[in-house]
Amino acid sequence: MIIIDEDLCKGCHLCLFMCYQNVYAISSEFNKKGVQLPYVNFGERCTNCGVCEVICPDQAITVDVNKNWWVGKEDNAFNPKFSNGRK
Amino acid sequence: MSSDENKFTPYMRKDRLPHIFCPGCGNGTIMNAFLKGMEKAEMDFDNIAMVSGIGCSSRIPGYMNCDSLHTTHGRALSFATGLKTANKSLDVVVFTGDGDCASIGGNHLIHAARRNINLTVICINNNIYGMTGGQISPTSPKGSFGTTAPYGNQDTPFNLAELVAAAGATYSARWTTIQIENLVTSIKDGLKNPGFSFIEVVTQCPTYYGRKNKLRTPTAMVAIMKANTIFKSSADRMRERDLEGKIVVGEFAKKQKAEFTENIERISEEKFGNKTVINSAYETEL
Repeated sequence: MIIIDEDLCKGCHLCLFMCYQNVYAISSEFNKKGVQLPYVNFGERCTNCGVCEVICPDQAITVDVNKNWWVGKEDNAFNPKFSNGRK
Repeated sequence: MSSDENKFTPYMRKDRLPHIFCPGCGNGTIMNAFLKGMEKAEMDFDNIAMVSGIGCSSRIPGYMNCDSLHTTHGRALSFATGLKTANKSLDVVVFTGDGDCASIGGNHLIHAARRNINLTVICINNNIYGMTGGQISPTSPKGSFGTTAPYGNQDTPFNLAELVAAAGATYSARWTTIQIENLVTSIKDGLKNPGFSFIEVVTQCPTYYGRKNKLRTPTAMVAIMKANTIFKSSADRMRERDLEGKIVVGEFAKKQKAEFTENIERISEEKFGNKTVINSAYETEL
């Protein structure tokens, strides 16, 4: 499952280029910022590789964490040493 | 944290997002790749100090929720050397651009590599001076156009990863933004390596480099970058004239050597009996 943050996306379409399964497609409408947002066209093709999540320069794409292979942990605490800013 | 939150925004200052980088700029990708590599290396994010100079890429530590130091142009490595020598328990990461690192701070770069001080330097090479308006930088490829080169650049570009490897760094690698798995693994290795680790990342700059070189969209720049990439293992078997204009990626140095702060501490304990940091006039107060 892929979530796209519409406020953060700037419309560079690198996710379309990088996805080797061609999950994404460009919408024909412009949003209020003048950006043609990508949307998930073929969600069933997604293999949760997580490349689009890292390539997105604006941190707009989130691939469902619990099914993501390269985190490898069921709970969301991907870095147990990170104290969330509390020292 | 819910599962629909992005995995990288917990490490960032959310009130500053979205960042000011142009659409399609590779700096955001490198932020993500650094955080992913840091997670894989299992480092403590609170123990990391980021140092940066001047430039587009040097704005990255401003978006990270950790201790950061924004220094003068080209002197990021000097400040980082001082920071690491004063407090050697910190994990110091330096984000610099190609103009910052190779042009004005070139001597600082090779001497930091020669001393082999335990830093992780991520040099973001976008082949042009992006922030000041598209001037030709020391790493611009031969024949590329810029504001200061309307007839094409005639100089041979710097080969930063090989320069640093020749200067004596223990880890030196070059990747592009599209080889994400390799880049993340390389950043992880660089963070774990006890010595000078240099990771050059070739990125796209669609706003200035792309506009001057007829590659206006980020995807066009990335496609050209992907087509021109050659791995080091196959580049070793090719002739030099075939490699002109190509980006050779791979690891250029991976070895072990004596480290700068360890040397200082060892000689201080030999000669004076205690460590340098507390060997001062205020020793009794400490």
